[in-house]
Amino acid sequence: MIEAKGLGVVFPNGTEALRDINVTIDDGEFVAVIGLSGAGKSTFLRTLNGLVKPTRGTVRVGGVDVGELSGRALQRFRRTVGFIFQQFNLVTRLTALDNVLHGRLGYLPTWRGLLGLYGERDYELAAGYLEEVGLAGKEHVRVDNLSGGQQQRVAIARAMAQQPQLVLADEPMASLDPRLSDVILGLLKDYNEAHGVTVLVNIHVLELARRYARRVLAFNQGRLVFDGPAENLTDELAERIYAGSLEAL
Amino acid sequence: MTWVFPALGVLVAVLTSISRGSARRYLYASGLGLLVLFFAFPFSSALGYLSREAVHPTPAGLLPSAPMLGAILAVAVLTLTPWPRRLHGWLGGLGGLAVLAAIFSWLSRPVFLARVVPLPGVMEGAVALGLAALFFLALRGRGALLALVAAVLVGGGSYALLAGHAGHTYFPRIAGYYKLLTPVSAQETRELIERYNAGLEKANALRAEIGLKKLDPIRSLADLEGGLPKDLAREGVRLVRPASLRYGTLAALFLAGLLLASGFFLARKPELAEEGDLSGGLVAAGVFAVLVPSFYATEFSLAKLVKGWPFFVNFLDRAWPPRLADPAHNVFPLQEVASQMALTVEIALVGTFLAMLFAVPTSFLAARNLTRGSAFTRAVFTLTRAFYNIDRGVDTLILALVFVAAVGLGPFAGVLAMAIHSIADLGKLYSEAIENVEKGPIEALEAVGASGTNVVRWAILPQVLPLFVAYTLYRFEINFRVSIVLGFVGAGGIGFFIQNAMASGMYDQMIIGIIAIVLVVNLIDFGSSWLRSKLV
Repeated sequence: MIEAKGLGVVFPNGTEALRDINVTIDDGEFVAVIGLSGAGKSTFLRTLNGLVKPTRGTVRVGGVDVGELSGRALQRFRRTVGFIFQQFNLVTRLTALDNVLHGRLGYLPTWRGLLGLYGERDYELAAGYLEEVGLAGKEHVRVDNLSGGQQQRVAIARAMAQQPQLVLADEPMASLDPRLSDVILGLLKDYNEAHGVTVLVNIHVLELARRYARRVLAFNQGRLVFDGPAENLTDELAERIYAGSLEAL
Repeated sequence: MTWVFPALGVLVAVLTSISRGSARRYLYASGLGLLVLFFAFPFSSALGYLSREAVHPTPAGLLPSAPMLGAILAVAVLTLTPWPRRLHGWLGGLGGLAVLAAIFSWLSRPVFLARVVPLPGVMEGAVALGLAALFFLALRGRGALLALVAAVLVGGGSYALLAGHAGHTYFPRIAGYYKLLTPVSAQETRELIERYNAGLEKANALRAEIGLKKLDPIRSLADLEGGLPKDLAREGVRLVRPASLRYGTLAALFLAGLLLASGFFLARKPELAEEGDLSGGLVAAGVFAVLVPSFYATEFSLAKLVKGWPFFVNFLDRAWPPRLADPAHNVFPLQEVASQMALTVEIALVGTFLAMLFAVPTSFLAARNLTRGSAFTRAVFTLTRAFYNIDRGVDTLILALVFVAAVGLGPFAGVLAMAIHSIADLGKLYSEAIENVEKGPIEALEAVGASGTNVVRWAILPQVLPLFVAYTLYRFEINFRVSIVLGFVGAGGIGFFIQNAMASGMYDQMIIGIIAIVLVVNLIDFGSSWLRSKLV
């Protein structure tokens, strides 16, 4: 369960990225987060795994106050939260399997991680998830030899390999051919349904959010302006969400 | 030969005009050049009795004796003023003529006596001002007030140091470095000479006793071309010889020619002037003001080169054909070159390898992005960078000299020197590679809960490893060329062979070494750049 209470983030340069966010998300939900770029949806996701610290209020994930964590405890928490980036953020000079195995680093003692001494089970998991995202047989291909869509699927497998309680995806299709959106969102949706893991996806294409998510959160200038089922998100309402942001730009 | 220099200036202007470049740039350049020259370049020589008593005054220093040189200053200021273009052109052209006229009228003056008046504090002030300006520019980014305070403190402090007792002890020539030459009236000149001639009889009697040559009385100043008699020099006068050219005179002639021609070109085609003329001209003048004294200081001389040419031809004659082997005398130079060349490569290999061994771990401590965490790591960063900077400053050859003294002649000294010097260069390159890695993978590995060392191992290392290898290869190329020279200071290798052959006059053996170096340098450069292109 995710609980944000009075959550606010002000960046060191003075930008107010999030203002007074109050939201509760139950386990196993598939939630789309919409809004224009700069609306705060990325920052919201990043507070959920501690990449960004809240400057006001609290955010709890599975009962843990994320803002309070640091050092070893933060690492232990992060290994339970998968994060999928817009730019994939893979180590492109390593193979697909190596990258997926990185998802297991949080569970290994540091010295074993340094030497790359993963266990038998880690290899099984990694290969299994690569297969789940449809990349069986590509284990030993260097990531820079894969297409963009394949690279993002490696990144998804890396997140799955963490066996997370929560998956956060920050505009996972934005750097890809629009036709691949269904592949990526389909994978996340299937994963959500098969394993019952909560998934939060940032999307700026409204139509996709409606199609995949039952629940939609909309951000505008750092404020949560809509929280409800996708059906309630009328065109008129959506227009206001986006138009307001445009003015702000 | 004096006409060559204005002609060169005109040539530069003509070439620019043909290529439709902006002539106004040269107006600014020669204006600033003349300004610098007027205050800082030696323009003439004034002899005393001893050669070290000679004074080389600037145009500004000569002003009391030769007011016409003021034309240089006037023209410089006039040219640096932003007039309307056409007027600027005419002023520049006429100014160039005026400067030429002033210089030539000065050059045609007969020798005369002048009194030296050292100006205290000018050189001290110039150095202090320069330091203050440097500090002001460096600190300007942190606020104008802070920069101003720092500049005033640094400038004032250094002036007090230099002009005080300490400065005059450590830099004895700085006191009164800048000198004015005030004229000695015709009346006084006559009196000086008469006094000298009157005392001559007594002096000659003394000289005859100890077997010295008799001194002739002075009939005219022209008799003194070779230098002043001791007694006159002691009175603080110098014999100014306007016809003697110093580099300031040559520079002034060149700039006057440039000014003259580019002024008239600007007047004819004012539309060719460009926006950036002022800054372009100032940069050109800056380069000019640094290059001209440097050419003088390095004693650059085409005449010497022409004179030395036969020796060069003689060297080639004796070096060709190479003597590859001489079994009769049990001399095998080719064999020797081959083994020494192998040793040279081996020195470079070991030196580079050892440097890499130390540079890899330290470079992580010298990467800003990895050491932001705490005050301790920031201190480690600063220390490592400081070590790199000091190490980079001490050249391999200097280190080799020290190590030859410590561990004796031979390749080991060379290897040590090379290894230690290369740590800094490699470490700096490595750490820059680390600072430029893509941030994405680092963020991703942090997001999976990997520990700090694991982030370095899996997000950074795979990215920088190929660069590390490429930089190491590149350093090896450089180190190979360095290790050639190392032989000259006794640290083994092909340089040692060449030095020996040179010292014993066996040019036909030495040439083998030179050819081998050319071949192997190219081979290694080619091989290493091919390998590097495969890597990155």
